[in-house]
Amino acid sequence: MVAFRSTDASGRITGLLFRCVLYSLLALALIIVDKRYDHLGKIRRLLSVAAYPVQVAVASPFQGWNWFRDSVTTRDVLRADKAKLEAELRLAQFRLQRYEALEAETQRLRALRDKTESVTDRFVIGDVMNVDLDAFRERVLVDKGAGDGIYVGQAVLDSGGVFGQVARVGQLTSEVILVSDAAHAIPVQINRNGLRTIAVGTGETNRLKLPYLPTSADVIAGDLLVTSGLGGGFPAGYPVGTIAEVKRDPAQSLADVDVKPAAALDRSKELLFVWLKPQAAELLAPPKAAAVPKK
Amino acid sequence: MMRETRIRRVPMALSAAGALALAVVPLPAVLDAFRPDFLVLVVFYWCIESPRAGGLSLAFFSGLALDVIHGVVLGQHALAITLMGAWATHLRLRIRVFSVLSQCLTIFALLTGYQFVLFWVDGATGNPVTTFGRWLAPFIGALLWPVLTSMMGKIHER
Repeated sequence: MVAFRSTDASGRITGLLFRCVLYSLLALALIIVDKRYDHLGKIRRLLSVAAYPVQVAVASPFQGWNWFRDSVTTRDVLRADKAKLEAELRLAQFRLQRYEALEAETQRLRALRDKTESVTDRFVIGDVMNVDLDAFRERVLVDKGAGDGIYVGQAVLDSGGVFGQVARVGQLTSEVILVSDAAHAIPVQINRNGLRTIAVGTGETNRLKLPYLPTSADVIAGDLLVTSGLGGGFPAGYPVGTIAEVKRDPAQSLADVDVKPAAALDRSKELLFVWLKPQAAELLAPPKAAAVPKK
Repeated sequence: MMRETRIRRVPMALSAAGALALAVVPLPAVLDAFRPDFLVLVVFYWCIESPRAGGLSLAFFSGLALDVIHGVVLGQHALAITLMGAWATHLRLRIRVFSVLSQCLTIFALLTGYQFVLFWVDGATGNPVTTFGRWLAPFIGALLWPVLTSMMGKIHER
């Protein structure tokens, strides 16, 4: 290939245009193939393994610093932490006492109505890696990947509530798209009255919105939003957020509702990857022929 | 003008790797939108400084690395950086004799072009970024250019 890295007698670079066009076409082809077809998944997975050292190199000084800070905390701080955690645990256990009974009752009632709700089966904890992916998208990188059984679309929770879902899986890492990403939507219902709608991300970390509620909808500030479990991606009944503000403009047909997410989207370091029980998948299968009304 | 192209490969690769790391170093959320495109600046530098060492190949593969690390559609950054790298290579003789201010302005134009290609591909692939924040990066990048050139110059004159 003479055209590559060559100069003519006067020292001018030849083939600049050729190389530019070649690489640009290659890049365009990649974009189209990656967007339209699914063939690049494997390649991307391999490339993400290649990127892993860079990500680890970037994240490790911060991890080292955290480790250092943890190991030199004073006894007083540890004691205060312990007291706080014990108090939290007591409260949590107190709440949990009724949980078993309530869950059994719920299942029984649902069985009466011949319905079962999707229940979480097992979960894996992943750590958020200390790397910034993209300033303008709400995404984080987590140190669990296809090797741990993570799959695309998997629900991700943190201790406060629903965090997001898995957008892309690498061999060692995965990308989680937060509920607040502008491209994310999640089926929810209002806990108080069961009103179902969809919560859409805004691109701002601490705000979601409910764009599809009519102005007359029964929604007030302070209402708790939980996942409805419709669509099958998320388990039902987990907190998504609380209504922060409801603006009703009589001239508009839809209300303007702001939601404050329940999960600590900008602070959580440990995330829960959730698997749903298999029965949920059966429920989501298209209805059998018998269920179709006969004419 | 006959400089060895082989010697430059090492600082080239090292500086690109460093810039790639800077592209994902965690910053406070407030500063995140102000993060300049370090890797793009480094690629421009090599395109202008030693175009024969394969600046365009560096551009393409750097772009690919950015695509993987940012987790966007493969080829997006590669396309943007290749086009602008080629333009920088084309302008290199002029840029070298420019005053610092004109250099900065040229780099600003190139970086804006880079962001525009990214913006376009984002829109074309159906997940547009609608905030104005992304147009800040070219400003910061252009301001950073004189610092970068003097720093890189010192490194590889050694």
